[in-house]
Formats: sequence, structure tokens, C-alpha cells
Amino acid sequence: MSKVIKIALAGEGGQGVQSIAEILAEAANEEGKNALYIPNFGVEQRGGVSIAYVQISDGPIGAPKFIKADILIPLSPRAVKRTTDHAGPDTVYIYDNSLIQEGEVNDNIVGMQYFDVTPPCPTADHPNQDLPQDLIAGEPKTCSFTTEGKGVDPADIPEVKRVIAIPANDIAKNELHPRVFNVIILGAIIAATKVLPLDSIKNALEVKLGEKFTANPKLRDMNFKALERGYELIMGAM
Amino acid sequence: MAEVSLKGEQRVFMTGNEVIAWAAVAAKAEIMYGYPITPQNEIMHYWTRLAPKYGKKFLQTEDEISAGFTTLGGVFTGTKAFTATSGPGNVLMQESAGMAEMMRLPVVYIIQQRGGPSTATVIYGQQETTLTCFGGNGEGYRIVYSPATHQDLFDYTIKAFNMAWTYRFPTFVLGDGYQAKMREPLTIYDPEEKGIKLVKPEPIVADLGQPQRKTKHLRNCLNTEDELYEILKGHQADYDALSSKIVEWDAQDCEDADLVIVSHGVVSRAALGAYKKLRAEGKKIGYFRPITVRPFPQEQLKQATKGAKRLFVAESAYGQLLKIVQNNLYGSTLEIVPMLRPGVGITSEEIYDEISKL
Repeated sequence: MSKVIKIALAGEGGQGVQSIAEILAEAANEEGKNALYIPNFGVEQRGGVSIAYVQISDGPIGAPKFIKADILIPLSPRAVKRTTDHAGPDTVYIYDNSLIQEGEVNDNIVGMQYFDVTPPCPTADHPNQDLPQDLIAGEPKTCSFTTEGKGVDPADIPEVKRVIAIPANDIAKNELHPRVFNVIILGAIIAATKVLPLDSIKNALEVKLGEKFTANPKLRDMNFKALERGYELIMGAM
Repeated sequence: MAEVSLKGEQRVFMTGNEVIAWAAVAAKAEIMYGYPITPQNEIMHYWTRLAPKYGKKFLQTEDEISAGFTTLGGVFTGTKAFTATSGPGNVLMQESAGMAEMMRLPVVYIIQQRGGPSTATVIYGQQETTLTCFGGNGEGYRIVYSPATHQDLFDYTIKAFNMAWTYRFPTFVLGDGYQAKMREPLTIYDPEEKGIKLVKPEPIVADLGQPQRKTKHLRNCLNTEDELYEILKGHQADYDALSSKIVEWDAQDCEDADLVIVSHGVVSRAALGAYKKLRAEGKKIGYFRPITVRPFPQEQLKQATKGAKRLFVAESAYGQLLKIVQNNLYGSTLEIVPMLRPGVGITSEEIYDEISKL
């Protein structure tokens, strides 16, 4: 049986966890590998923790979800707490040690489905301010990547094979743009898994964001720079 | 990525809901009737996106009762029609499915199971197995396929239309929320290019294009007990006759197995992984998966478990497959070890651990 690489990503809603999981799986598929991606989805909510499961292999892939991840990437303090089951003795654990403000929505909330509300943008300076205030009055607010919050408590990190902390959000915020935070993480995953060449992700980004890149070539540079930065962070740490 | 088309064989990477929409196009379905419910919404979304390009139609109805009956109406006129739903929507569609059993209408339902009972979760479950096989106030004259991979979703959706129009029983593809939302590769194709004959639909009540048309009187309401009994004897005989012809299953390494794992749908992927790992350790484990859960591959399961000491039944429901298995193995003294997780996913690791503990 071919080895199946199991990757679990978890983050605040809006951090872009599902987008990079999808890009990763599509890039693997384009490379001729078998890939399976499934989001952990529920009723729509703003600001809760979102988990993505990706598996990549040269052979067949079994069940869509798994318990122990080979690479586990929780991107907020409560994503760390939420994913302890996925951490095992063979897990490489990559977390973001920047200080971001989490959303107010409870993790296990069973709420209404928000069809009528524009989702807030956590990368904005004040993410909830551009929303219709009467609609969101009294509602829990989204996370913010620009406001500082409490960071990951090292005591929450489970026993694993290897722990790597990267300040991806701070790098995105201070050196690039908060929006490419997830692309830094994507670069980090490529370095940590070594299942795909970095170029395969660049191609996948071209496919996914091609039109936006053509309209604004700076966007391409920023995304590729973020990708390489994430890649180097892990190569330097490992 | 190249544009997706049905010309030649094409490897694609998409969600299960998208696969269903493409399969319905490949099967030459003409219209979808539907009402939105998670996790099957994207079947409607993709179908309506493909509709203008392929000359297809779509009608959104006011609820699932209506979606089921409009699909029946489409079929009356000789139109290849289908609908898709989940959970509480599946409950509402049983009324139309019962009528399809009674009138022998070739209707195709796609079910993406969510958690139950009632609204429960929008995520995943296998708790609509009993409902899909035996729902309605009748005998469960249905054909139910339980796919496990995206390739299955594509292949069996095409097959569902063929079976429905051949045998004139309502036919279901029993998927689930995981299959609906996950992405994995599969090969899509034009079935006719591969030599798969697509059964042509024909008007069921009357051919409106024929001036001298004869109309059929399809009855759903009968005057006497005897009339009903006569009709049902006919349905039962037809259903019994098709069962041995259309049952499908997958059995691996059951001949010398001490323990056989039985599961269906997406759980059988986990079972397959666990069985392979246990076999690699030298344990005598077999794998059995009914692909048609109704009619059920009874003889094949009996054969597969002949030499076994134990049966391990894993499902994301509290005993729905288990009951079907017990019913089909009546008289057997095999010990059955159940692993029942209603509305919750099951991983290879969990099945492996449970069996290793035995």
C-alpha cells in the first residue's frame, strides 16, 4: 500500500483554511496523485473554527476523514484546543504563534444560517464595521487578524513528534498583506510534507486566481512571495 | 485545468454533488425538479449551470412533496426526470416514492444523507437507509444503490436511470453529506461512447404527439382488497425476478476469513482500509460491501460468511444496516459485533482499533 499523507488544517472562519486545502488538493491532483479534500462543514456561522482534511497519496485513499494527522496545522488558540484528537506521536505540528483576536462565536454553536448577511472581512482594520449594523446588533463578532488577541498557550499543545511555531499572521500583516496569510501557511505545508513541488502550487494559484493576477500583477508577486516565505520558514526550522 | 466535457474519457477532480450533475447529463436526463436542502444544494446549482449548455430544464418547487410529485409528472410524459434531497426532505418525498411504487414509475431520486432524526445535522449520516429502502406505506419496491467513491456516484447515477426505465421501479442513489462535499478524482465519460446503452424513456400515460393515442389509466386508488392484492402480487413477482439479476456487491478475501466486515456506502472505504491493514498483519479478515442495499445481495453474503466465526457490522446509524443483515442471514448462528455510530463518520483507524480489541 502506498503511504497516504494526512493533513489537517484548522483555523478561524475567514483565515482561509478551506481555500488553501482546496488548492493543495487540486495541485496534488494535477500532479497525477490521488487527493481527497473534505471540509468540516455545519450550519453557516461567522467566526467559528473551521477544519479541513486533505489526504494525498500515490495509491488509493480510504475514508474521507481520519483521526491522527501526519501534519496538523492549527492556526488560532482555540483551533489548538479543538484539534487535540488529531495529534499523535507521529504528528508534525505547525502552529501560528502570532497574537490574533479570535471570533466571538462559540465553537460548537448551533445557530441560524446566515443567508442575508455579508460575511465580515477579518483582514480589515475593523472587520465588523462595514456590515449593516442593524443586522449584526447583538450578534457575535468575527475574528480580526489585525487586532491583537491572546496567543496560543504552549501548555495547550499536545505531545507530538515535532512542534514548529511560525509567526505567519505577523509576517503577513507587517511584511506582505493580511490577506496572504493563508498562502504563507500553504508554503509551509509544502515544505513540511514534501509531497509536491512548490511550482505545482504556483500553477494551482494561477488556475484559481488567474483572472485576478492578470488584472493586478502585483497580486501574483505578493502571493508567490508569501508562498516562498512560508516554504523557507519551515525549511529553516526543520 | 481543461474545460470539463463528456467527450472521451476525462479525469476530473470535483465534489460529489458536481459529479451527480454531470452524471445526470451523461445519462441524458432532461429535467431536474428540486427544493434546496443541505448537503445536496450544489446538485441543483451545478445542474442549472450546465442546463443552458446542454438544453436541460430545471424547476424549483415550493417544497419536497411537490418536488417528488413534479418529478413523477415529468416521468408520466416520457421525460427522463430526477430529483435530489436529504434528511427531512427525503421523508417528504416518500409520499411520491410510494406512488411511484404503486404506478411503477421510473423515477430517480438522489439522496445525500444528513444526520437525523428531523433537522439534526446538515453534515452526514447513514440514517436514511431504512427510509430509502422501505419508506412509504408499502413494501419497499425500490432499487437502492449505495455508492462509496466519486466514480461510483457517476457510474451508478447513470445506471439508476437505466434501471428505473428498464424495471419501472423507483430507483435511488443513496449518497451522503461526505460524498456530497468532498473532492476526489474520477473519470467521467459519455456512456454511449463506451458501449453502455442508455434506455430510452417513453410516455407512460399517453403519447401526446400521437393523434390516435391510446391513454393508459394508471390507478393509485383501488376499490377492493382483491384488486390491490392482485396488483401487489404482480409487483412482488416482478421485484423478486429482478432481484437476482441486479444485486451488486463487493467481497474480498472472505473465503478463509474468520471475521468479515460488512458496511455500505462511504463507511466501506474505512472498512476497506482497516481490512487491508489487518490482512497485512496476517489476520484472517474479509470484506463485504452490498452495493445494492435494496434488493440486498442475500445469497452472496451467506456465501461470503459461510466459513466465518464473526461478522463485524459498521455503520453511521444505530442498526439500520444491521437489521437488514440480520434479516438476510436468518437462521445463521454467526456472532455479530456491531459498531454503530449514528450520524457520525467512521475512520479506518476506528474500525481497525475495534477489531484489534476483539
